[in-house]
Amino acid sequence: MSYREHLPETKGYPRTAIAINAVVALAVTALILWWAADFAVFYEELFRIQPVAEGANAGVGSDWTSGNQVAWLDFLIAITHAADVIMGVFILFMVFLHWGAFRRLAGRMRQPGDSGSSAVAADGGRVADEVATDDEAATGDDTVATDGGESR
Amino acid sequence: MTQLDHGKFSRMTTTFHTLLALDVFVLFFSGYSLMFNDELWWMVGLMGGASGVSAVHRIAGGGLLALIVFWMLMMVTTDTGRGNFREILPSKGDFDAFIQDVQFLLGNADERHQNARQFAGGTADEIPLLTYIGKGVVFIFAIELALLTVSGILIWSKTGVMDIMATKTAAAAFVTFHGLLGVIMLMGVMFHIFEHGFHPALYPVEVKAFIPKSMIPEDHDDDTEGTGIERLELSPSWNMASTIVGAMTVIGIVSVLLGSLFDEGYPVPRELAIGGGPADILLTVGINMGVFVLLLGLVLQMYGNLLRVRWQKQLEQEASEPATATDGGHVESDD
Repeated sequence: MSYREHLPETKGYPRTAIAINAVVALAVTALILWWAADFAVFYEELFRIQPVAEGANAGVGSDWTSGNQVAWLDFLIAITHAADVIMGVFILFMVFLHWGAFRRLAGRMRQPGDSGSSAVAADGGRVADEVATDDEAATGDDTVATDGGESR
Repeated sequence: MTQLDHGKFSRMTTTFHTLLALDVFVLFFSGYSLMFNDELWWMVGLMGGASGVSAVHRIAGGGLLALIVFWMLMMVTTDTGRGNFREILPSKGDFDAFIQDVQFLLGNADERHQNARQFAGGTADEIPLLTYIGKGVVFIFAIELALLTVSGILIWSKTGVMDIMATKTAAAAFVTFHGLLGVIMLMGVMFHIFEHGFHPALYPVEVKAFIPKSMIPEDHDDDTEGTGIERLELSPSWNMASTIVGAMTVIGIVSVLLGSLFDEGYPVPRELAIGGGPADILLTVGINMGVFVLLLGLVLQMYGNLLRVRWQKQLEQEASEPATATDGGHVESDD
């Protein structure tokens, strides 16, 4: 690691902490998943129609009906729909905000092929090899406006 | 000062970011090819049908659980972790940065706020560890991931939720809740990809997320005012690339939002919805565009790691050269 010699000291994470925590994390994960799988590894319940279901709407498919009547779960789904819309609109706003800010920042940067602009020759022309690179860069970006462009 | 700018994250953080991103991308691809299966039928087929997709989703879910537990342990048990946690707590500056970003867009402000700067330039000392967007991403994703993981573990085995929820429909509704919750994160990740991949000074990828700060030299001799962005040359492809990906991000976000509303969600719909028609074609195209943005994020994140490998090789080469210069020979070639 010789390349680090002239680099500043930076504060990272201790190696032992990373190793120990990684092992603990894997063990905890295995335990949680084992619990989630009902302490059985290869076992999957089949969903069957239960004609003998009890309750007010006893009969075939009665649990589908009663399942739709869990009020707090219905509310939870409704509120998640609302959260999706609110966050979606907010995220869209953030996309446009940054898109616009990026266009302003891009307008401040040197435009493509403009790196030689400081190398202006005495007669107002540009140095020969700068012109060559300019042409090379310009072929592919006819669509770029000089002022940083505008959206569509 | 280079385009690399100043380093931000330790090696552990950059590695963790890569693993988390890969895992979450797999979860998105498997989970949303199930939820939006009529729009992403080809993806279900690609992953081996319904049983294949759920197997992929569960394996990636196990990986996510391990990553989250590991990160929480690191935040609690190490000094650096506790220190970094203090750094990401929101401050008044973050709110000001948001307001100033709006002003900057409208042309009423000349500069972005310090708490909004991804590109720090020569005055990096005042730039906080994370921008206000970075903090938002950390908090929103942390809450989302926690809720998604808990609901995901509960529906891991159908019998598990059935024990709690008593009926099959209620258990299936929990799956719906899990899917609808993930839509927020799906939209957020699309924004995250656009925000960090298409900043004009950092395009096409913000390398400080991939190169640890221990490998990036800091240079504080620079006394010039401003961020130094004026001295950078814009990439010729930035204009077109940012326009196309920006449009695809917007279309993708709108489409998954509408898709989540149309797929009303409750296991037995209250009203009979008849599919088909031009609206569904548009939705299919839009959701596939969103998935393409995610795929682009996956590619960019691989590219970020490729840049790190190249950077490391270059540093090693530069470090070895002065030592061998006296005899003119070259001991080893890194290539």
